[in-house]
Amino acid sequence: MAIVSLANVSKSYPSPERGAPRIVAVDDVSLEIEAGEVTGIIGYSGAGKSTLVRLINALEPATDGTVTIDGRAITGLPERELRAVRLGIGMIFQQFNLFEAKTVAQNVAYPLKVAGWGKAEITARVQELLDFVGLADKARAYPDQLSGGQKQRVGIARALATRPRILLADEATSALDPETTQEVLALLKRVNEEYGVTMVVITHEMDVIQSIATKVAVMDGGRVIEQGDVFDVFSDPQHASSRKFVSTVVQGVPSPAELAVLRERHAGRIATFSFRDGDAAQARVFVELAQAGLEFELVYGGINDIRGRAFGHLTLAIRGEEAAIDRALARIGELVAVTEPPIGDGAVGDGAVGGGAVGDGAVGDGAQDGEAR
Amino acid sequence: MDKLIDLGPEFWTAAGETLYMVFFTMLFGGLAGLVLGIGLYVTRTGGLLPNVVVNNVLNVLINFFRPIPFIIFIAAVQPLTRAVIGIGIGTNAAVFALSLAASFAIGRIVEQNLLTVKPGVIEAARSMGAGPWRILTTVVIGEALGPLILGYTFIIVAVIDMSAMAGFLGGGGLGYFAQLYGYRQFEPIVTWAAVLLIIVFVQIVQYLGNWLARKVLRR
Ligand SMILES: Nc1ncnc2c1ncn2[C@@H]1O[C@H](COP(=O)(O)OP(=O)(O)OP(=O)(O)O)[C@@H](O)[C@H]1O
Ligand SMILES: [Mg+2]
Repeated sequence: MAIVSLANVSKSYPSPERGAPRIVAVDDVSLEIEAGEVTGIIGYSGAGKSTLVRLINALEPATDGTVTIDGRAITGLPERELRAVRLGIGMIFQQFNLFEAKTVAQNVAYPLKVAGWGKAEITARVQELLDFVGLADKARAYPDQLSGGQKQRVGIARALATRPRILLADEATSALDPETTQEVLALLKRVNEEYGVTMVVITHEMDVIQSIATKVAVMDGGRVIEQGDVFDVFSDPQHASSRKFVSTVVQGVPSPAELAVLRERHAGRIATFSFRDGDAAQARVFVELAQAGLEFELVYGGINDIRGRAFGHLTLAIRGEEAAIDRALARIGELVAVTEPPIGDGAVGDGAVGGGAVGDGAVGDGAQDGEAR
Repeated sequence: MDKLIDLGPEFWTAAGETLYMVFFTMLFGGLAGLVLGIGLYVTRTGGLLPNVVVNNVLNVLINFFRPIPFIIFIAAVQPLTRAVIGIGIGTNAAVFALSLAASFAIGRIVEQNLLTVKPGVIEAARSMGAGPWRILTTVVIGEALGPLILGYTFIIVAVIDMSAMAGFLGGGGLGYFAQLYGYRQFEPIVTWAAVLLIIVFVQIVQYLGNWLARKVLRR
């Protein structure tokens, strides 16, 4: 049974102007989160991600629908009982939100005091947690004496103090540099694997999804427009809007500005081929194009790795007779997903292409040796 | 100068009266202001215990009394002073008027300083299951302590200044002393001596306030 379950949940706020319709932040969302999973919530700014997560620990009451935690409906419970629910759900934040006037140890001890633990138990638990996050030597330091990564580790220790079964993270690594992000993600991964803590992580970073998420939900305009296995959603998004969002975070899909530059530099029709999980189709694509007597070059591309499964995108500039290209693309379309971005999509940003896609296995646009074999 | 030496006992009595007035004003007015400020802070929309009615009442109350110049305020509240203290003049009557006036100013200062606490910190405490009173007493006040101390320091200095006007109520104090023995009797040295002592008081208070705030803020 799902540990967190949202059934037709909506959240709206009164409009700031009189008479205007209410602002709908979360719109009729149904979502099941299984125990032990790490669910990534992605989507553009203003999509309702933070609001959705705050509905789970009832920091915001839902205006409609039912939120169920561990089999218990929490919607409509009195505030006093909600506080008890919140003790079982940890939360970490983008800006860490540590108590600046308290030491690291006092920060971690705070939720334990709220939960009514005894003094000796608190001391032991704080020590254990600081050891776990590797900050035992900082127990008496104040937050303003810590680096961002250390602050977030304190945040994690504090959120886990009462041994919650659920951890919510709202852009927990967005304020950190890439290296520190990796450290914090590694720690979160341990939290999930060693303690079996179920996590819901809001993010706009592919890194976060790639390294810790098992499930993902895409939000747009307050709705969850797509949800499922991370690999499926990222390698083959179904919804137009999630396709658009996914293409902004995965490797190897040219942005509209980059496309415009590619069109300027390369003659021919531009088409993107999407491959999943090492299917042999890549060689077939080249064979089909060659057999059709078409000339082509590789202009953009990249490979993504999600938990050991790979998917990638290659963009080719194809030259030849129009009808022959159409026939070839139709045949290839039976093997892999083919997209021909519409012309005039986006303005030319100068130098937008840069080095092409970066990241492992990425093929830069400088790799123009994809001539027909 | 001889005059000042002659007036020695009166001078020190006046200094004592000033300290007495400032101390008790800060005790009563300081507490009342703290309550007012916390009331304003917790009842505001989006606050810990939002309550539009209470918030509006407190706001109107403060906005009504705060702009009244203290010299007029003393006279205006005299009937109330008489009702509460039993007598309309004297040091205790002055403490009453001072406390009342100070509490409105302190209320605003407390509210403003509590508002410097980042909403994220309060949200973090809420996410841990803490209730509004616990958050107020164990998070908000602690986080705002540095600015609160500086705010109170500012108010003490203002009260020292206001207490000089207590002479009009026969409250005594250095202000009254300077007026009575210095100004009216054309003895500038006497006036300056009183002024000097007031400056010394202000400096000491400001120094202690800064020191304490720095200690709390660790910088
Ligand atoms: N307290 C509030 N009062 C009014 N409107 C709100 C409130 N909180 C959120 N909203 C609105 O709800 C919508 C969703 O906001 P939310 O913060 O959940 O988005 P988000 O997906 O987390 O965005 P971001 O990526 O920028 O953090 C926005 O339009 C926002 O303006
Ligand atoms: Mg957000």
